[in-house]
Amino acid sequence: MISLGGGDGGGGSSSSSSSSASRKSSSRAKATQTKWRTGTQQKIYGRRLLDALRATGGAPQPRAVKAAADSALALTARGQTRWSRAILLSTCRRRVLVKAGGKIRRRHHRRPAKAAALEPAALKERKVKERLRVLGRLVPGCRKLPAPALLEETADYVAALEMQVKTMRALADALAAAQLSSASPPETERS
Amino acid sequence: MSSRRSRGGVSEEEINELISRLQTLLPSARRRGGSQASTTKLLKETCSYIKSLHREVDDLSDRLSDLMATMDHNSPGAEIIRSLLR
Repeated sequence: MISLGGGDGGGGSSSSSSSSASRKSSSRAKATQTKWRTGTQQKIYGRRLLDALRATGGAPQPRAVKAAADSALALTARGQTRWSRAILLSTCRRRVLVKAGGKIRRRHHRRPAKAAALEPAALKERKVKERLRVLGRLVPGCRKLPAPALLEETADYVAALEMQVKTMRALADALAAAQLSSASPPETERS
Repeated sequence: MSSRRSRGGVSEEEINELISRLQTLLPSARRRGGSQASTTKLLKETCSYIKSLHREVDDLSDRLSDLMATMDHNSPGAEIIRSLLR
C-alpha cells in the first residue's frame, strides 16, 4: 500500500505563534489545504472508489454510484473529521433513517422573519448566523456545530469535494475513452 | 493569532480569522487579489460552491453509472486495466 508521505509530513512547521491552540489550528489549516490536493490522496481515493464501484455489482444506479463515491471519500478522510464520520455512519443506518426518522422529525421550520431592524451590527450578525445555519445543513453531520468548528469542517469538506469531483471526472473520462477504443463497431466508423 | 479568549460565546475575530482561511479555498480567491469580501458574502459563496460541487458529483454519478452499464458487456477488463494504470 502507498504510505502517505506526501501531505502529512509538512504539517506543523509554524513556529511563530506562542499559544499552542492557535498553532494547532493554523497548522491544521495548512494541512487541510495540502492534504486533499496531493496526488497521493487522489490515488488512494481512486482506488477506494474503484473498489466501491466494483462492489456495487456491475450496473449500479446513479444513487448507488454517489453513495459509493461518498463512502470512499469518507474512508479516505480516515475518520478524522466530523463530516466523514457522519457519512460513514449514515451508510450503515441509511435504510432506517430514510424510512423512519429522517423526514418526519426534521420539519422545515422557518423562523419568523426579522421583526424590527436593530442596529446594523446586530442585523449583520443575525445574517451571519443564518448563513452559518445554512452551511451547517450542507456539510454532513454539522448541523449543531458551533461556528469555529463548523468552518474548519467546511474547509476540509470543500477540499475533499474538489478532489472527489476531479477523481470522478478522470475516471469517467478514462472509462469513456476505453469504451471508444475497445471495439464499439457502430460508433467508431471513421478511422 | 494571540487572543483566544473564551468569552462564553464566539468572538468575532475568531470567526473572521477562520473565514479568511476559508476564503483561500474558494475559487473566487484566485480571482481577487484583495480580501475585501464581507463575511456574509463569503458564507453565501461557500454555500453555493458546496451546492455546485454536490451537483457536479451527482452529474458524474449519472455519467459513471451509464458508463458502467454499457462497459460491462463490451469490455469487462476495462476497469481492471484502469485500476492497474492508476
